[in-house]
Amino acid sequence: MAGGNKNKLSREEELLLQDFSRNVSTKSSALFYGNALIVSAIPMWLFWRIHQIDLYQSAVFFIVGTIVSTYLVAMAYKNTKFILKHKVALKREDAVAHEVMKKLADDKKMTKKEKDERILWKKNEVADYEATTFSIFYNNALYLVLLIVASFYILKNLNPTFNYVASVGAAAGLLALFSTSNN
Amino acid sequence: MKLWIAALLLAFACYIPTGAEEESEARLLVAKNILNQYLVEGKDLTVEYRIYNVGRSSALDVRLKDDSFPDADFESVRGNLRVSWDRLAPNSNVTHAVILRPLKSGYFNFTSAEISYRTTEESTERQTGYSSSPGEGGIVPLKEFDRRFSPHVLDWLVFAIMTLPSLGIPFLLWYSSKSKYDMPKAKKGN
Repeated sequence: MAGGNKNKLSREEELLLQDFSRNVSTKSSALFYGNALIVSAIPMWLFWRIHQIDLYQSAVFFIVGTIVSTYLVAMAYKNTKFILKHKVALKREDAVAHEVMKKLADDKKMTKKEKDERILWKKNEVADYEATTFSIFYNNALYLVLLIVASFYILKNLNPTFNYVASVGAAAGLLALFSTSNN
Repeated sequence: MKLWIAALLLAFACYIPTGAEEESEARLLVAKNILNQYLVEGKDLTVEYRIYNVGRSSALDVRLKDDSFPDADFESVRGNLRVSWDRLAPNSNVTHAVILRPLKSGYFNFTSAEISYRTTEESTERQTGYSSSPGEGGIVPLKEFDRRFSPHVLDWLVFAIMTLPSLGIPFLLWYSSKSKYDMPKAKKGN
């Protein structure tokens, strides 16, 4: 019976997850864009202090670079989160069900269906939370590594302004590309 | 054959007067060198003068003068561009160094310094000579130099501090959730 329940739940869950699809809520969208903006603005420091670009002279490049990079990084967050959410949901299934059941064990009034719904809801919440945080962490780390490799090794000897445009573009572009290719 | 004799005579004729001069007079050779590998705007630049006396007697009242560094382009840090020595013994040498600071970047032609001395005790006329000239050198802008050679330890440290929250906070949030839900599963497995 337990096995049957589980199958039924995961099917329901699949539907629910698909309903959610790639569209994220406004709150998490704001979270993604905020994070993407912070991580996209960090390279400015490196280029200003270490590559010695004049901030005012190259302000246009910095602003455009940061905006484009913010958009691409946020896109990468969303894609990675979408992929991860499914995986995390499957992984956390037992643990979440166990936790919710333990909490609701004393509640005799609650029907089986209600409990299942509660589990489903909780699982979705946990999967969403873990996928979001991990996606931000993973993409931030990858973005910074790509940026440093591009600007300090590959494009080291180029004109600093061009180096900024190329390395920020390459790091954000590759990040967005990697996030879609995981499919 | 005639040509050969003529060449021999000419060589002999040249040898006699110079040989006679070297025997009694002082003769100074001056080498001027820039010791820095990179010439950087606003950073110290060392100029070294080496004076050799290859003559047979002491050079007297030796005066070295270098007017090739205009005030608009160079600032003196240590040492003088006009120096004098009372006497420089034969077969000896003396070294003088000056530290300057270039004020502008770009190419600069380093020309020769001037030296004057009396060749013998008796002579009243001064002999004038010129040092070797180091030639044209490129003075690198400070910004460019920093970009290539400064380790930027402080800047990297600030960068690390800036990136830490954007990496650390999501990781900690994820890790706390992961460890919370991994535990019951592990217990179950046991």
